[in-house]
Amino acid sequence: MLETVDLSKSFKGNKAVQNVNLYLDQGESVGLLGPNGAGKSTTISMMSTLLKPTSGEIKLNGANTLGKPDELRKVLGVVPQEIALYQELSAYENLRFFGSIYNLKGQKLEKRIQDALEMVGLKDRQKGIVKTFSGGMKRRINIAAALLHEPEILILDEPTVGIDPQSRNHILETVKNLNKEKGTTILYTSHYMEEVEQLCDRLYIMDHGAVIAAGTKLELLSILSSEDTNKVELNHLDESFIQEVKDMEGISKVEASNLQLKIIAKKGSNLISNLVHLAEKHHVQIVNFHTETPSLEDVFLHLTGRTLRD
Amino acid sequence: MMRSVIWAQFAKDRRVPLFLILLIAGSVLATVIFTGGANSPSSFAIYSEEANADQIEKKWEKLLNTDDSLQFSIADSAQVKEDLEKGNIDSAVKLMENDYKIITSDEITDVSYMQQHVHSVFQREAEISAITDLEGNELTREDVEKYLQAGPVQMEKVGLNNEEMTDYNMRTQLMFAFTLLIAIFILGFRVNNVTHDKVSGVWDRMILAPISKTKMYTGYILYSFFISMFQIVAVLLLFKYVLKYDLGNQFWLIILVSALFVFSMISIAMLITGFVKTPEQFYAIYPSIIPLIPLISGSYMMPGTISNPILLFVADLFPMAHAMDAIMNVIFYDAGLADITMSLLVMLLIGIVGMGLGINLVERRSR
Repeated sequence: MLETVDLSKSFKGNKAVQNVNLYLDQGESVGLLGPNGAGKSTTISMMSTLLKPTSGEIKLNGANTLGKPDELRKVLGVVPQEIALYQELSAYENLRFFGSIYNLKGQKLEKRIQDALEMVGLKDRQKGIVKTFSGGMKRRINIAAALLHEPEILILDEPTVGIDPQSRNHILETVKNLNKEKGTTILYTSHYMEEVEQLCDRLYIMDHGAVIAAGTKLELLSILSSEDTNKVELNHLDESFIQEVKDMEGISKVEASNLQLKIIAKKGSNLISNLVHLAEKHHVQIVNFHTETPSLEDVFLHLTGRTLRD
Repeated sequence: MMRSVIWAQFAKDRRVPLFLILLIAGSVLATVIFTGGANSPSSFAIYSEEANADQIEKKWEKLLNTDDSLQFSIADSAQVKEDLEKGNIDSAVKLMENDYKIITSDEITDVSYMQQHVHSVFQREAEISAITDLEGNELTREDVEKYLQAGPVQMEKVGLNNEEMTDYNMRTQLMFAFTLLIAIFILGFRVNNVTHDKVSGVWDRMILAPISKTKMYTGYILYSFFISMFQIVAVLLLFKYVLKYDLGNQFWLIILVSALFVFSMISIAMLITGFVKTPEQFYAIYPSIIPLIPLISGSYMMPGTISNPILLFVADLFPMAHAMDAIMNVIFYDAGLADITMSLLVMLLIGIVGMGLGINLVERRSR
């Protein structure tokens, strides 16, 4: 339905996005994952026709939309990261304004406003002034404003940043309903792994302006299928011990925090006996040891060498 | 859809009207404070410390009280000095037999106007005295005055339409200067809504909607225009009908000049918007530049006070000088549409050039 081909964007010679290829099929829910500064917002700004790419194409149903964005804008709803609302107006007045610039009038506009408010669970607060709302409520109205023209594709740019868990759950539930019940195609960007895991059928992982991995959750996890994530708790941390663990055969990543080591190691690498030997040598006591099934967070760590919130 | 943009701007102002009300009240108050309220004359104390003080005071009181906008009254010299020291009065005139001294604690506009008047009265009296005092001259003072009234060369003041002219009134000029200055602030802050909405993301939402950019800009510009015109018309009606200011007989022409002035200033505000990234930058720059415009344009001074060619050139680049010139011509010299066409065209030109450059810069910033 919507596709980018070798999409790139440079700002004064600095490449913010490089050769990004991604696609959204009708009715799909796709996650775009990456740490701050990975190029997610630039990518979706280009996909939503707000930013002109330096090179590459954006295709809607096979047709290039660059230079003629109207067709794409008709089917697109965008929820920006910032609260793009008039803070002085009520929730209802905001929705009335954003509906009217989509040429909605009279009964039709009224029905769409009420439906959008129902969808985000703020029907009873529609007369409230936006600036008096909590951060979560503002974000929900921010979403409602993008739903008035009933878009086929909804792009959400980190819609849960800085809000309480209750509002966050409400937003996730709203997005899920839009996808499952109304068949809206979703592109959801976030740096919260658990949100993307919960909502999306497929994922793109971005880092340093490029897509570094793509696929379903299972496909991404299979990147680590030959490896195990092991957590080792020690009585104290010893730098030379950690260094020797890193140098051990079959170890691909070691992360130390507090008194814990997170070790990603090849399956069958005889990790436990090697660790015990090393611990004896360095007079370090192993308090606890367990092996975890790898998560998407581990995949990200494996691919980028850093965590999502770095 | 453009109406929706205008409605949203209006709805915001309706929700928080205090800013607008304060600015309108501010322009009325500034005029009332700096011009002494309703169209009443400015009062000045006169006194003498000569041996024949009574005689001198009475003589000059009669001669000085010939201008309706100025009133001179005899006061006790000690009292005048005390009032000046305490700041109860700003200025007074110390009279001598054939000379005077203006004693002032503040260089306000009224004082410079009064000074011009006193100077011209004393100069005229000196000329009359010089003629009558000539040795062997048999002319009396009455003869000289009669001769001056019916001299061989007569000057008659008429308006451009051969109608009787209203005397130039500094209060009316100041009233317009303050009203237009406040209008500049109101329209500027409304044009700044473009930057506000760009930063908040509302602008991007509009771009994604089917509304065209032309309609978006027109919506913001029209709202700024209407709200500023509302302020100007409201203030002018108040001064014309409540405070009884003489605004001539062509109120519609004053409104036309004001409309072109507002349009051209909206363009200048748009030009400044093109240079800033955030609304806060605009709030810092705009109020620093704007108060200079009426100063350079000489709006607070008697016409002709500014004679420096560089300042006059700079003043001509801004619409204020042209608007004030046109309005004063309409009120005091009864100028018609044809007489002020040049001023209107210059403002229109400033408006078109400023708007073109401004929108271009705003758009470049978006890319």
